[in-house]
Amino acid sequence: MSPFLAVVEKDLRLAWRNRSGWASAAAFATIAVLTYSFAFDLATGDVRPLLPGVLWTTFLFAGVFAAGQSFQDEVEDGTFEAMRLAPIPATAIFAGKLTANLIALLIIEFAQLLLATILFDAGLFTPALLGIVLIGTIGYVSLTTLLSTMGGHVRGRSVLLPVLVLPLLVPLLIGAVRGTGAALGLEAGTAPWIVLLGVFTLWSTLGAFLLFPVAVER
Amino acid sequence: MSAPGEPPLAGEVAIRARALTRQYGGVTVVRGVDLALPAGSKTALLGANGAGKTTLLAMLAGLISPTSGSLEIAGYARGSAGLRRAVGVLGHKPMLYEDLSPLENLRFFARLYRVSDAEARIEALLRQVGLWLRRHERTAILSRGYHQRLALARVLIHDPAVVIADEPETGLDPEGVALLDDLALRRPGLTVLAATHRIDHIQSWASGIVRLDRGRVVEDTSSLTTALVAPEAARATPATPASSGASVSPETASATGEGAR
Repeated sequence: MSPFLAVVEKDLRLAWRNRSGWASAAAFATIAVLTYSFAFDLATGDVRPLLPGVLWTTFLFAGVFAAGQSFQDEVEDGTFEAMRLAPIPATAIFAGKLTANLIALLIIEFAQLLLATILFDAGLFTPALLGIVLIGTIGYVSLTTLLSTMGGHVRGRSVLLPVLVLPLLVPLLIGAVRGTGAALGLEAGTAPWIVLLGVFTLWSTLGAFLLFPVAVER
Repeated sequence: MSAPGEPPLAGEVAIRARALTRQYGGVTVVRGVDLALPAGSKTALLGANGAGKTTLLAMLAGLISPTSGSLEIAGYARGSAGLRRAVGVLGHKPMLYEDLSPLENLRFFARLYRVSDAEARIEALLRQVGLWLRRHERTAILSRGYHQRLALARVLIHDPAVVIADEPETGLDPEGVALLDDLALRRPGLTVLAATHRIDHIQSWASGIVRLDRGRVVEDTSSLTTALVAPEAARATPATPASSGASVSPETASATGEGAR
């Protein structure tokens, strides 16, 4: 088994054994979608224009809830240093942690899409919308995984991560919300939102892979 | 000379540092350290708290970069995969996943080091450190001493040529210390550099000492360092293998000013 797969398997196993971070994220996302569904049902007959914003704010905060968890534990226990001592590229560690975070967040997002489909009576499982969610989540998780590493040695990192990550995610959020609207058949303007989303995801993923070895150097 | 990829032979230099310096902000924690520790030697790193021992070990292990100076371990330059494969690090923290079992911890690190015949190696190590019967329990519920034993197994999983340790006796009972001696500190052929305050213990394993004071080496009885600093002298002075019994004298021990815990 390659070191990359070993990191993925280990992180998923740890996420399952120590579910507090991801369980909090899932609980938050579920409560948020439920609350939105009740509020919007009273306010308007057609909730579809609101769905992109509902979905992406839920995804965003659920991810921020959980993203710092794995690095925080690794830094405190010294296991991150133990991984760095091994004769493997830093990018293999990053790719492993990114993939594990991505899988965990996609599971939560899938559950939220299912819940939103039922509560908002909207067809959300279309290839276009699933593609946008996948691309946006890759870009988003790349950044949060990198920034949680950089904040790993800093006191108050749980506050630092959202403060650092949210401004950086503005282009991704705009592209993802507009692109989701377009996938739902809403008026989204003529701007190439999907292209913006794709370019941002490519930039953040490549940037994160390039910066990670520098970020973990002490 | 040993072949590339092979551990250094007895008498060759296993740990070589030249003018190794580390600064944090404007503070110099380690200043101009020269080391040349022979393969197979067992060296105790001594010094009061804050002398720079942990920083020096972290640089040698590759965990932090020196501000200046050069470093070579088992013939490999700093930052190379070869160096990381050659080194095992036993730190202050056991560096273990608390929510994984001892077996899962060792499997994970065996995969990172691409250990061949990993299952047999893991079983042998877990039996040696007395954790085979508890291999499926969560590491979090193990005692501090068992954590340290498991950490020792983690360090040895890839059969390193050099072990760098920071107070390795921490948390170990006498039986655990005996295991540490057998598996690492007194193991023939293995090069050991260990920071310790256990003067009573080092006399049983160390073949030389390096003492730090405020980041500088103030005493070095390892046989090759002088040769490194003065290359001409190196050719005139034959290397002394660690097995030559250059043990720490009682005078040295008593002069440390550090009491055994």
